[in-house]
Amino acid sequence: MKRVGLESSLAIAEAVRLAGVDVVSAYPITPQTHIIERIAQMVADGDLNASYIPVESEHSAMSGCLGAAAMGVRTFTATAGQGLELMHEVLPVASAMRLPVVMAICNRALSSPLSIWGDHSDIMAARDSGWVQMFAENGQQAFDLTLCAFRIAEDVEVLLPTAINIDGFHLSHVIESVLIPEQGEVDKFLPELPRPYVLDPRKPLTMGDFATPELYIEAKKSQDVALRNSKKVILQAWQEFEGVFGRRYSPVETYRADGASVLLLTMGSFSEVAMEAIDRLRESGEKVGLIRLRLWRPFPFEEFRQVASQADLLVVLDRAVSFGGPGPVCSEVQAALYPLSKKPQVAGFIGGLGGRDITTEGFEDMIRNARKKADAGRLGEVEIIGVRE
Amino acid sequence: MSKLTEIRWHGRGGQGAVTSAEVMGLSAIEEGKFAQAFPSFGPERRGAPVLAFNRISDSEHIRMRSAVTQPDIVVVLDPGLLGIIDVTRGLKEGGVLIINSSKSLLDIKSEFEGPWTLAVVDATAIAMEVLKIPIVNTAMLGAMVKVTGVVKLESLAEPLGERFGKLAEKNIAACRRAYDEVSIAAQGAVSQRPEKTFGEVTWPSWQELLPGGVVTDAGNARSYRTGDWRSDRPIWDHDRCIKCGVCMLFCPEGCVEQNEQGYFEANYYYCKGCGICARECWTQAITMVEEAKA
Repeated sequence: MKRVGLESSLAIAEAVRLAGVDVVSAYPITPQTHIIERIAQMVADGDLNASYIPVESEHSAMSGCLGAAAMGVRTFTATAGQGLELMHEVLPVASAMRLPVVMAICNRALSSPLSIWGDHSDIMAARDSGWVQMFAENGQQAFDLTLCAFRIAEDVEVLLPTAINIDGFHLSHVIESVLIPEQGEVDKFLPELPRPYVLDPRKPLTMGDFATPELYIEAKKSQDVALRNSKKVILQAWQEFEGVFGRRYSPVETYRADGASVLLLTMGSFSEVAMEAIDRLRESGEKVGLIRLRLWRPFPFEEFRQVASQADLLVVLDRAVSFGGPGPVCSEVQAALYPLSKKPQVAGFIGGLGGRDITTEGFEDMIRNARKKADAGRLGEVEIIGVRE
Repeated sequence: MSKLTEIRWHGRGGQGAVTSAEVMGLSAIEEGKFAQAFPSFGPERRGAPVLAFNRISDSEHIRMRSAVTQPDIVVVLDPGLLGIIDVTRGLKEGGVLIINSSKSLLDIKSEFEGPWTLAVVDATAIAMEVLKIPIVNTAMLGAMVKVTGVVKLESLAEPLGERFGKLAEKNIAACRRAYDEVSIAAQGAVSQRPEKTFGEVTWPSWQELLPGGVVTDAGNARSYRTGDWRSDRPIWDHDRCIKCGVCMLFCPEGCVEQNEQGYFEANYYYCKGCGICARECWTQAITMVEEAKA
């Protein structure tokens, strides 16, 4: 294992190389371009023995991955923003057909106005596509979770496509130090797993069949149960990962949350900024802590409730708008808390849209603002913060 | 709540069962009633058994939208369906069963008598005479109105006119002929229901589905009895057959085979009765015979 300075995008490309991916089918889009350019270079240079399919659109990129995954080979793609939207039609097909495609999403705002910069609008619009979805906070996690994604997706108990979300620019274009393991270590963690159902002319089968109303709902139930059950394998994969590489991941991670009466909840790279804010507030004697939601789908209900239920106030940052509704993460956590008898009040904020920064001071303000609203009994509506008036 | 009449139409794709239901629904609305007409939504295939439904209420908007499973009235457009589908399933006591058949009322009674009014009309013969094609939906409408009185015969005229345009006059004539010719038998004993068994389709539970709904028994379409879609079957006349095999070459289903004597015959498990073999036969050795009469 060696520590190198590497852009997060290139760290993901490195994970793809070490995973020995067989087929990459991708279309370039900012801010994902560096990932697939690097992979294309690796394939061209003979550093990665894979088929690289330069398709004409993201719709084709995902379709190419579907075909390759159906043949039973390790498959990767990456996209962002509008690219994920154009891919959308094929996303639920991949999960319903139980094809373990792995995809990195460099989260980007949606047009219009056209924005190449980061927020979570793209993945929130693809939330219900049936994919395993997780969020990375830094370059190391981007690398680690990409390796884990193959281990999870291809497990015979899972067989579901898996997306690693990294914030566009805030993560994708940041160079920082990343520990890159040796091939042997990766091979130990990521063996080639047997695939029970693949396209093979010697053993013909039908995939992606047609279903009348007599069958469709059974197919959906089976798919939903598979996604819910994938959590067991995700936990196991992360445990194995810790065993080999020494770094630990959990569906819900916390920072200084012990005894906190106020908890902030974030996803993605802004979590590390929020940690700075938590440190400052803790130093001034405030009982605040942080929840970092690592696993977005399947939603980790148990782990989340365990951590969140003890607080008095939960402050949720959404980096996407559900127009006319609450923030998508906020509505999710509220739904998760609702059945509990002891639960915190929830203050929902939307911020960091279209690449707008949130600083440590911004997070401190957010927590103060939430406290004020809670004291005044004004927590009802979600608030978009950092907006010029 | 006002009285609700529920109707189930049995036909084959392309025979006009859905049109029957539409015309029936529109006629009822024409009379100031409230009505629904809808098909059983599904993949459309000419010849495959299909269902269409009506609900008619004298005075209220109808909120129920599920399929009709306990009909007051059942209408069977194609006699070939009687052997493959349980047309009396769920038919209420005191209901009405109307069948298109060339058989006599006595013969039909021996098979389908039950705690309902039974009626039979040779709608195919009427359609062939009046319309020159075996599309029986308008004739069956006439028979149905006569037996049940759910709408008046005159009320059918306007929807039929709208639906059939230039062909409306002939369709109204077919409708009237069936109205006059339908034979009706009084309701049978309550204890008496036809004893027929039909293969039940079973569906897997969600746990039984393989990941992604993968189907591993390749070529299982072979077990699909497309012969159930057939209303006419090809019959070969060996005196005219020259054993050339044109019928086999043209059969789109690939179900015409040569037997040990060198003659050709259809595998009726698959034959959909499309009639292409009969049309292509050089020596007119093949005739299409109505399934119920074969």
